[in-house]
Amino acid sequence: MTTRKLVFTDTSLCTGCKACSVACKAWNDLPPEKTDFVTSYQVQKETTAKTWTYISFHEKFANGKMTMRMFKHQCYHCADPSCMKACSSDAIYKTESGYTLIDHDKCIGCGYCVSSCPWEVPMVDPETKKSYKCTGCIDRVENGMLPACAFTCQPGAIQFGEYNEMIKKARIRLAEVLEFYPNANLYGEKLMGGTNYVYLLLDKPDTYGLPKNPSTPWSLTLWKSVIHPLGGVAIGAAALAVIAGVASNAALGNYRAKKENAENSHMEGGE
Amino acid sequence: MTNSWQDMQNTACFLIAGSNCAENHPIAMKWINKARAKGAKVIVVDPRFTRTASQADIFAQIRPGTDIAYLGAMIKYIIDNREYDEKYLKNFTNAYYKVSKDYKFEDGFFSGFNEETRKYDTSTWGYQLGADRKPIIADNLEDPDTVFSKLKEHYSRYTMELAEKITGMPVEKILEITETFCRIRPGSFLYALGMTQHTTAVQGIRAYAIIQLLLGNIGKAGGSVQALRGEPNVQGSTDMANLISNLPGYIPYPTNAQNTLADFQLKHGSAQYKPMVALLKAWFGDNATAANDYCYDLIPKTNPANSPTFVQMYKKMGEQFKLMFSVGSNSLISIPDCSVVGPAYDKLEMMVVVDIFETETAQFWRRPGMSPADCPTEVIFLPAAFVYEKAGSMTNSSRLIQWKEAALEPLNGCMPDLDIIDEVFRKVRDLYAGSTDPKDAAILKSRWDYGHVADPLKVLQELNGYDETTGQLLPNLAGYLNGAIGTVSTGCWQYAGVTGAGTNFAARRGDADDSGLRLDRNFAYAWPGNIRVLYNRASCDENGQPLDPERALIWWDPVLGEWTGNDGPDVVDKTKGPDTPEGKQAFRFNPEGAGRLFTAAYTSYPDAAAVIPTRSAGMTVDGPMPEFFEPTESPTENILHPKVSKNPVAPVISEIIGSSEEYPYVLTTYGVTEHFCAGGITRNIPYLNEIMPQPFAEISTKLAYKLGIKEGDKVEVSSARGKVVVHAMVTERIQSYKVNGKDAETIGMPWSWGFAGLSPGPSTNNLTMSSLDPGAGTPEYKCCLVNIRRA
Repeated sequence: MTTRKLVFTDTSLCTGCKACSVACKAWNDLPPEKTDFVTSYQVQKETTAKTWTYISFHEKFANGKMTMRMFKHQCYHCADPSCMKACSSDAIYKTESGYTLIDHDKCIGCGYCVSSCPWEVPMVDPETKKSYKCTGCIDRVENGMLPACAFTCQPGAIQFGEYNEMIKKARIRLAEVLEFYPNANLYGEKLMGGTNYVYLLLDKPDTYGLPKNPSTPWSLTLWKSVIHPLGGVAIGAAALAVIAGVASNAALGNYRAKKENAENSHMEGGE
Repeated sequence: MTNSWQDMQNTACFLIAGSNCAENHPIAMKWINKARAKGAKVIVVDPRFTRTASQADIFAQIRPGTDIAYLGAMIKYIIDNREYDEKYLKNFTNAYYKVSKDYKFEDGFFSGFNEETRKYDTSTWGYQLGADRKPIIADNLEDPDTVFSKLKEHYSRYTMELAEKITGMPVEKILEITETFCRIRPGSFLYALGMTQHTTAVQGIRAYAIIQLLLGNIGKAGGSVQALRGEPNVQGSTDMANLISNLPGYIPYPTNAQNTLADFQLKHGSAQYKPMVALLKAWFGDNATAANDYCYDLIPKTNPANSPTFVQMYKKMGEQFKLMFSVGSNSLISIPDCSVVGPAYDKLEMMVVVDIFETETAQFWRRPGMSPADCPTEVIFLPAAFVYEKAGSMTNSSRLIQWKEAALEPLNGCMPDLDIIDEVFRKVRDLYAGSTDPKDAAILKSRWDYGHVADPLKVLQELNGYDETTGQLLPNLAGYLNGAIGTVSTGCWQYAGVTGAGTNFAARRGDADDSGLRLDRNFAYAWPGNIRVLYNRASCDENGQPLDPERALIWWDPVLGEWTGNDGPDVVDKTKGPDTPEGKQAFRFNPEGAGRLFTAAYTSYPDAAAVIPTRSAGMTVDGPMPEFFEPTESPTENILHPKVSKNPVAPVISEIIGSSEEYPYVLTTYGVTEHFCAGGITRNIPYLNEIMPQPFAEISTKLAYKLGIKEGDKVEVSSARGKVVVHAMVTERIQSYKVNGKDAETIGMPWSWGFAGLSPGPSTNNLTMSSLDPGAGTPEYKCCLVNIRRA
């Protein structure tokens, strides 16, 4: 029987080489996209239907000390994923190994998953009209191989293993770095029911442009766990729930808008 | 590298200066991180806060090209505070040797400078010699004539305050770095082109060597000077003599003053005579005999007054050079001040380019501003096989010779380089058949036989060498060392033993390692003699026992009566114990057998009466100790000696030199992790163009504010030699700083772009400076003066 897996990304070891994003594309047959600089050495702004993982760069100069933090974005594979709740066609499902996957035979490209994800990871391909995101390289993992990103990571920042073992390792590592980085934390362990991609961050999540408390919109929970199982509810209710969800995301801080604002303000640059 | 990639995990303190290894040698981080997991500290000194710096415990921003100023201050600190390892100095270095009374350093010049030739006569940089022609060794380190005293005197000028004025690094930072590196041992220097692309390149590395010898950080697991080589096989190409001053195996290249083998031996000693004969036997086989001087006359002799290095060659195109074979080199992009390159190629009769893509160099006749009809040069392009399509050996930074097989057949008629060269050579030889012209003899007498279809293993076996009397492969290094002169051949003596007599050691992939140090001696083969940590005799005390039992490399076994251990012992003779003169030596390839704090002119002889020397010292041509000189284009004067601001013996090739009034900012150039060198391969890989789409100029927020530049603007960066327009990257990773009290700015630019390929872009080398390190011939890519404005 398959057991729950965890990808632990120790950002203290990440050097921002972007090899993970190339390895991801090479394994998953994803085409390159046209890019431009976003900020620093960052060239990809968000996950897309053809870019399932990318690195963001976060520079800060304070008290005479420079820091340059890198963060690898991709689907977090939440234990309790809001995209699955929002999916209007039951295309999104969980595996025993903990992965959140999209069945493209069922996906109709409605985009509800996009707007309900607190990190806005899945994206609908305008040509195929299907939603795409990181698969956790389940095709590799189920055949005893490491995920492509973890396999290629030279500094050893991306680590893969059994959930219990890896989460223990992550906690030990956190304890080690807390001595030097008092704001260090494990990001994901306690979010969205416990994500299957967990990060060691050296600073608060907002340093990396991440939402502190991502959550499933209440309306979605209501829809999926309470109303939907009762059956016989109008199709429109699904849309209503998603709209409510987007609104509630906005109330929680509207992650994407924030992200873009942050980028724009940086683009202004200067002193 | 003195040590290996894996050995980095044994290091307790890294000083990474002149290397951006997280970006340009990502594999290094794997081993550095293993050391960090054990508590190792990482110090990074760089003109920019790089992705490597993001991993550092201590970071200091330095003005490009000023390393020797702070390294000199480190040396002074080590001496003043007695941080040096006195036993190490006594046992393994020339610290106690007495320097010639004629040696002087005054006003920026060492003794022996010739105004006319702008070169040094190095003869005054010698030792005081005894009647036995051996150096006189003082009893006391503080004796005024010792190397140590000269070092102390020389660096007494290098105060922390002086270092701050020159480098822009605050005193407290230099002090913190120095104290940390002294306190935590073993320590390692990691460097790459950031240290070597200067007019003071060799001396910068010499400063590393001096610090490491003072601290006792050489010859030990985790204690090293690590040169991170820029390509998978660049160590191999260096071993095979890609520098004009060498033949394979670092044999000095014969000049026109050494027209016979006897002259050569008299000049370079018996230590170079033997490998020279073995090389001639490898190249000319049975045609090389004692009677004909082993065909020594077939090797062209250089004229020291006219020996153009790679960059200088472009001035001689069409005169001295009529045909160029360019194999895997994109020189139109990679040569500094590169506007000279295209017109030089126009003067050739023929250019042959062997590459996997049609690089800029392959289509130089199509460069911007050039009409192809005006280019008289005949150009032939030969499509080469890619790395995975060919078998052969590669030698990495660890001196590790690794064999690989071809993973797939080359596509569409592409051929491995070896097949191309083999076919060309054999056709040429056929054309010369029967010629009696002496200049053709080298081709006709050559032992060139790698099979009907050239077999790369036969090439490696030629390097391994043969017993020429039996035709059998040499089984190991000892097979070469013990073989009588003229009876053994090797194409590169350090490689003797690599293929063995039956097992190709380069193809080994054994992962058993009992040392706990990841010496990995069953994995491939490191030259010389599969030694993984060079000079490892220095890891032992006077009795031949490991100084650090946790990091034991080798030891003297009195029962066996030989040196043994986890690593191959780097000793003169395994059976000569620690109480013998040979058994005390840790640096057996220096004529003194000692580590050289001062590069003294010295030749050793077997005895007082001998005519033929044993070994001559390798010399630094610009001084026996490193001295700070400003880069060729510099924003300021040299406050140590304003009248001798630049390295007086560095050749300046560029004809136009900019002034700091017109070009007030310092440009430093580099690679990025996403692209490789001139981009001939990587700019043709869509995934890599996706993650680094275009070149850029990194500027400080202060400079950007002053000039009204915003991130993402197009900016024109200009030097006295050219200009380019690129994306502006405004960042706090470069800070404004002070030089000699005045505000200064560094601008950083990657150089990997050119007009061809899938991701064309302007070439940064239109701006850079062609002035060379006088010893190595490496151009000063790392600093020149520029101006910048919104485009």
